[in-house]
Amino acid sequence: MSRDGFLSRPLTRRTALTAATLPLLAPSARAQQRFTGREIVATAFGGPSQDLIQRLVYDPIARETGARGTQTPLLSANAFARMRAETQAPQIDLFMYSGGQQVAAKAGDLTQKLPDAPNFANVPANLKDADGQWIAWGLVTEGILYRPDKIATPPRSYRDFFKPEFEGHIAFPHITNGYGTDFLVMLAKTFGGSEQNIGPGFEALKRISGRANIFRSAAEVQTLFASGDIWIMPYDGASAMRSKAMGIPVSYAVPEEGAPYVLLTGAVAKRSRNADIASFVLNRHLDPEVQTAIAREIGWAPVNTATQLPPDVAPFMAPTDKLANLDRDAINANRPAWTDRFNREIAR
Amino acid sequence: MIEGARRGLIAAGLLAPAALVFAILFVWPQLGLFLQSLGGPPTFSRFLGDSYYLGVLGNSLLLGVCVTLVTLVLGFPLAFLLARAETRWAGLLLLLTTFPLWVSAVVRSFAWMVLFFRSGVASRFLQGTGLVAPDFQLIGTFAGVVIALAQVLLPIMIVTLYAVIRGVDRDLEHAAMNLGASPAVALWLVTLRLARGGVLAGSLLVFSLSVSAFATPSLIGGARAHFMAVTIYEQTLELLDWPFAAAIAAILLVISLSVALTYGKLLGEKTR
Repeated sequence: MSRDGFLSRPLTRRTALTAATLPLLAPSARAQQRFTGREIVATAFGGPSQDLIQRLVYDPIARETGARGTQTPLLSANAFARMRAETQAPQIDLFMYSGGQQVAAKAGDLTQKLPDAPNFANVPANLKDADGQWIAWGLVTEGILYRPDKIATPPRSYRDFFKPEFEGHIAFPHITNGYGTDFLVMLAKTFGGSEQNIGPGFEALKRISGRANIFRSAAEVQTLFASGDIWIMPYDGASAMRSKAMGIPVSYAVPEEGAPYVLLTGAVAKRSRNADIASFVLNRHLDPEVQTAIAREIGWAPVNTATQLPPDVAPFMAPTDKLANLDRDAINANRPAWTDRFNREIAR
Repeated sequence: MIEGARRGLIAAGLLAPAALVFAILFVWPQLGLFLQSLGGPPTFSRFLGDSYYLGVLGNSLLLGVCVTLVTLVLGFPLAFLLARAETRWAGLLLLLTTFPLWVSAVVRSFAWMVLFFRSGVASRFLQGTGLVAPDFQLIGTFAGVVIALAQVLLPIMIVTLYAVIRGVDRDLEHAAMNLGASPAVALWLVTLRLARGGVLAGSLLVFSLSVSAFATPSLIGGARAHFMAVTIYEQTLELLDWPFAAAIAAILLVISLSVALTYGKLLGEKTR
């Protein structure tokens, strides 16, 4: 819910340049005008990412294949509601999710099998459905953000939050922010607990919360780092990249316990007649050039393992083999109880 | 008799549009909210039987009282000066005092946050006085929320008091002084007493806006701000427990209404 903040970030200056050069890359002759006269409707996350994807994916596909693409901005929960409401006669073909809704969609028999496409093989098995009903095309990777000018040795583990020299310089998000929940779970895992045994996470959080700055909104990340008081916090790599672009020295470290992540996925409505175009569209999302552009401009990490990120982008995202897979069902089931406990024990 | 009935009809006619709007846009939704709070497991006893939630309610009421006191103490002298200023700049000065209201609550709160961080000007000043710990910061504290809320609600207090003080007949003050009262006594016995309606109206406005404020307590208070509006937001949007959120909203409404009524009654009785 609160993670939707990352979906509406302003673009950097380089966008126009990237968008202008990419369509020149490899239009496939095989696909020449094969979807002429057809249209695909897809949901999108709005804002700069939607504009970028229009330029990098839908516009070139329209030129190459004749398929017109229309993106309609819908937050994941609303998109899922639409998918369910329009089961019999879908108005939208391709649904993009950032909140894990693709799992419920498949379980509710609302999706169909995606026709295979060349780039799908390069996506690790845990980031796509075993039955081919959905596939990820991007990641928001979490980890440790820190001020390299204040912290000489880059942090390597969630245990580093307990170094005495960081006392009074730590911030972490409230549990109602998705990253706050993930921090709690990762602390639990670091100290012998799990999603089912959250106690060690709360014990650990209690040790640092007394003098830590607990914040609620994503917009506060830059303010906190800019204040100079805050040196280290758990958040996503894209925020570090954005801070750096704003002139605030912030680096990102992948913790050795693994980086929690948010998946950006695509799934096709069961009765859509445009699964072939949808697959083509998702495949284009997964082109290494497009993956790189999305990483650079929006901060979403690539899932196509063939992607080579340039050195100015790579340090802000976790590679797919460093991810920590959290039990989202358990987390969602426990959320009310954890929030209550957090308010009483941590945010005092 | 007929004259009286006609007057009654006219009064009802004049009241009808406002009453209709009030009924449709306030009473009806409030009723719906109340009914929603009755659905599912008991919500009111969950709130009232839990010291944590009672603490949240206490925080909100205390916030309302503190902000009202601060704005009253700071606002009255200013409103008095503006009302009595015999200059054509008075209007402009009054306009200037409303400036905080022109800025978005979010922008204003972010500005306060910069001042309230450990290295911010306001926190530095307090550290310099030696009254607080050297690493003290106003962000995330109750005092910080009071300061930021008082700043934005001060204009409301000033404008309300200004209108009432301007309506106080200065001849009454002069008469009191002619009868031997010192200016201070005249101010206390005449002006303040006649301006009580303004004090009441201003206080009620500031109090009700403070206890229900969301953006400022949430941003300045951060996660440690346990106030009613923030709790309602959390239950509604984060935890999707709408019956409980509705119950908290109903409790907030009833409690703040009773506080306001009691206050109004006390002040009203003293005026007589």
